[in-house]
Amino acid sequence: MSDVAVATKPSTIAKANIWTTNPVFMQVLGICSALAVTNLVLNTLIMSFGVIFVTAFSCLTVSLLKSFIPRKVRMIVQVLIISFYTIIVDLVLKAYLPTVSRNLGPYVGLIITNCIIMGRAEAFAQGNPPLISFFDGLTSGAGYMGVLMVVAIVRELLGFGTLLGFQIMPANFVPWIIMVMPPSAFFLIGIIIWIGKDALRRQGALTE
Amino acid sequence: MKGHGLLYTIIFTFLVCFVFVFILSLTNNVTAAQVALNQRLSQQRAILSAMGIEFSSDNEVQRLFREIRQEQVGQETLYLATQDGTQIVAALFSGPGLWGTIRGVLALNGDGSRIVGLELISHNETPGLGGRIDESWYKGQLRGELVAPDGTIEMVSRRGVGDSDSENGGMDGITGATRTSESMVVILNNEIARVRNLIIIIGEIS
Repeated sequence: MSDVAVATKPSTIAKANIWTTNPVFMQVLGICSALAVTNLVLNTLIMSFGVIFVTAFSCLTVSLLKSFIPRKVRMIVQVLIISFYTIIVDLVLKAYLPTVSRNLGPYVGLIITNCIIMGRAEAFAQGNPPLISFFDGLTSGAGYMGVLMVVAIVRELLGFGTLLGFQIMPANFVPWIIMVMPPSAFFLIGIIIWIGKDALRRQGALTE
Repeated sequence: MKGHGLLYTIIFTFLVCFVFVFILSLTNNVTAAQVALNQRLSQQRAILSAMGIEFSSDNEVQRLFREIRQEQVGQETLYLATQDGTQIVAALFSGPGLWGTIRGVLALNGDGSRIVGLELISHNETPGLGGRIDESWYKGQLRGELVAPDGTIEMVSRRGVGDSDSENGGMDGITGATRTSESMVVILNNEIARVRNLIIIIGEIS
């Protein structure tokens, strides 16, 4: 992450973050939570919104403060800012959505260690104006959400036979226990990386 | 970004930490009451449903909970209620599961010979596997279960058929979550012994 990307067109940024350099299936970042929270669609939704919120506002704050932050403590301050927003998300969930907070357990707190956020703060927000950094954070989070939702929909459908808690599969459907366990997310993300990279190669967007 | 001296770095870092931590403490203060209320409600809800008392709203939970008698025995609190003419005794428990502490409520009848109900407050078991101890079929199978003469509950393993007999002191485990199921049986048996003991003690006091 040494090169600071300078892109100014929002549409280019959005396309890159959601598709051509998608944080999960192209950069393979944020995999830990992608394995842990994707067995139920509802948990994945809330978790993704949490990540989008934290990424967007962390990027905004880092960008606003960038000229005041001494280089030596740059990363420490970034982590501080990310932790700040993460703890706010955690507190709000605990107070107003106690059941969801219980289901997500430690993973909300672990948003702090999500490499996507640190990556965007360091690679983009550090060298770009606040508003576009905010937008960059927003779309990076959306790119994360997109992949996680696909994984979660497959896992909940095959692992529980439900979607958002509603029974979808017929009554005699036998749930796949593997889909409930973290390894299935490995397989699914592997398949998504394969399909995604293949599609990008056909488009000619992939240079290696 | 260059040319920041050591003193500037120290002061800047200190200030940034101070400001962010200050805002966090404020947020924590604002939400603390709500968080505490949620925790209290979830505990009260668990105690009521372990006792088999039905409720529909949070207000009802608080109203019904006020009718429950609480008896202090040393450090322990016993929750006492009378439902359809029978005494119910409930207590909070916590014990080791596969990944972390399992906390919940176990309710027994007045002499500790039957389980009235089981409810869980928190656990860290694998979602979809051990986490299924929080599903209603798992907790519900113990409703009205007779404790075996030796004071224990046993996990019954039989191929393809569940244990629906509530007179044999047996319960079903969870397929794919043997360790969690075994931990639950140990926790429940310890708790049955503990609550029976407490029942004897309050019996002697009153």
